[in-house]
Amino acid sequence: MTAPLLDVHDLQTHFPIRKGLLRKTVGAVQAVDGVSFTIPRGTTLGLVGESGCGKTTAGRSILRLVEPTGGSVRFAGEDVRALSGGQLRGLRRRMQIVFQDPYGSLNPRMQVRSILEEGLVIHGMGDAAARREKMVAALERTGLTAAALERYPHEFSGGQRQRIAIARALVLEPEFVVLDEPISALDVSIQAQVVNLLVDLREQFGLTYLFISHDLSVVGYIADEVAVMYLGRIVERCTAKELATTPLHPYTHALFSAVPSVEPARRRSRIVLAGDVPSPSRPPSGCRFHPRCPLAETICTETDPPATMAAGHLVHCHVAAQAIEQAQGDVAAASARIAEAMAKP
Amino acid sequence: MNRAASHGFWAEAWRRYRRRPLAMAAVMFVGFLITVAILAPVIAGTKPVLCRYKGKLYAPCLGYFDRRLEPVIFTKDRFRGEYPRNLKEKDPESWAIWPLFFQDPYRSVRNNEWPGRPANPSRDEGRPSRTNLFGTDQYGVDVLAKMVHGTTVALLVGFLSMGIAGTIGIVVGALGGYFGGWVDMLTSRITEIVMCVPTLVLILALVAIVDKPTIWKTMAIIGCTGWTGIARLTRGEFLRLKSSEFVMAARAAGAGPVRIMLRHILPNALAPILVPITFGIAAAILMESSLSFLGFGPPPPAASWGSLLNDARSNLSMWWLVVFPGTAIFLTVLAYNLIGEGLQEATDPRLREARK
Repeated sequence: MTAPLLDVHDLQTHFPIRKGLLRKTVGAVQAVDGVSFTIPRGTTLGLVGESGCGKTTAGRSILRLVEPTGGSVRFAGEDVRALSGGQLRGLRRRMQIVFQDPYGSLNPRMQVRSILEEGLVIHGMGDAAARREKMVAALERTGLTAAALERYPHEFSGGQRQRIAIARALVLEPEFVVLDEPISALDVSIQAQVVNLLVDLREQFGLTYLFISHDLSVVGYIADEVAVMYLGRIVERCTAKELATTPLHPYTHALFSAVPSVEPARRRSRIVLAGDVPSPSRPPSGCRFHPRCPLAETICTETDPPATMAAGHLVHCHVAAQAIEQAQGDVAAASARIAEAMAKP
Repeated sequence: MNRAASHGFWAEAWRRYRRRPLAMAAVMFVGFLITVAILAPVIAGTKPVLCRYKGKLYAPCLGYFDRRLEPVIFTKDRFRGEYPRNLKEKDPESWAIWPLFFQDPYRSVRNNEWPGRPANPSRDEGRPSRTNLFGTDQYGVDVLAKMVHGTTVALLVGFLSMGIAGTIGIVVGALGGYFGGWVDMLTSRITEIVMCVPTLVLILALVAIVDKPTIWKTMAIIGCTGWTGIARLTRGEFLRLKSSEFVMAARAAGAGPVRIMLRHILPNALAPILVPITFGIAAAILMESSLSFLGFGPPPPAASWGSLLNDARSNLSMWWLVVFPGTAIFLTVLAYNLIGEGLQEATDPRLREARK
């Protein structure tokens, strides 16, 4: 197998907490704390988790829109964190991002033409006529027309704005796009259209996506592989299909129980997690999930669970590791065992 | 999406602004003042707007803008500034178009200077009359002429000092807000230090030191001390906007700091910054009037509304020296404040009605 397009290793993004007159650093919000994953070219990794778990920061850190504080990011063999100035600019053309809020991500004082053209001008892509051609092509691919060029963002609906944001990313002909909850701010009726558009574009241009979302069903539809994040860390990573059928981590079980299903057979009893997400500035000892985990044991409060791999399924959980051991490596059996334990009152 | 015209932010703001009658009246008043300032020599003066003298056309009224613009021939022919009589005596063929009011802002009109008209009354006898609509001052100089020629000063003080203040304030605030860290620390402390300096006292001190206090120096000082509020507001706007998603999107596209500040943040920050600049113009006009009233304004013969008020101080029975310039200052300051308020309401997103 060739090297993956994106290789993120032990990525850390901590925000310092400063206090007092001298702005002394008194701690750090560990928004992203040791996240690793790879994305092969042409595939999509879904990154799911609750609000505030660090998934957006992770996406932005990869593009260095937020400066990571540790770890490495390799894009097509290049160390993203080591680049500066012109090299970084060159890389930025190849890695694009679509933001969650289409009302906040388009400059309200600029016409769509200027919004789309900016990146082309910065990267010196073609003369005026060629740029216009590229812009019109990008707009048409996203389901808009050339008439949009002369308009301002406020003249468009949320779905249309998100299409403009996608066109802005596309016009630079990137290889990799971070989709930071691109449909969360849209109406349900529009969501499906945009998701289908993203899938079409991926097929058409061989794009690689990092799809950040809190919606498990959408991620299951668009992603090849899914990583579940909790409090700055990845707790489970496997293929989308496996995650839906045989989840291992208790947190993933809880997430899936919150997804409504129309099939009565697939309806699970709802697992309600106790308490709130702890503050990422003072993460719990041992396993970060233990204060809210219904299956937590003594070991969970003491040691950080190492990665356990079982048939390509990665999980950071002591309980799941035991279950896999007891089931002799059978992930499905282990998953069922955990589900059963979780269902107990 | 199928509408023919696509309106940008400022076009929309103007549309909303136009609906406010008071704000529109204020704009028209300022427009009127600008017209008066430009046409001052045509409105009041003793030099012909246009005249034909010894076979050639001249515009001696330009001399009010700059001494050097007054044709030399009139000095050579010893007009001594008195045109009507000299023109007729030295060239019977000559003709002239006179200003609307034959009154000079720098000197009293002498007896029979305008055929058949007596000299301007001086002392406290110069109450408003048909020849002197707003009366005359101690020395018999027409108040209306002084006010008309003083309009330039009043407007320039506002525009230039706030132009200086706005430029400094936006640059300082933008740097501090965008770069943060030690840059912000530095600019914020400088802003606070300048904020502590009492402008009026500083100007009085400088006027005492500087040997030739001109209106330009006053404007420069008002501008160099009045930028703090603008800097703080700009810093706040830049802080707010630099973390917005469209700025992040621009960075993702590869935009550098200069492009982001000029193309993305500044246009979005400009509307709230313009409001205090407008109020600052009003404050600068008041400041200049105060200085002139205290006797530290531009030295005579330059006319200023505030110095007219100063003249009234010595003899309060000359009420016309208080009422007319005072009203002019009041109306101008009011107009700028109304414009500022109108601008605020036209551009503030919280007060903005839903767009169609």
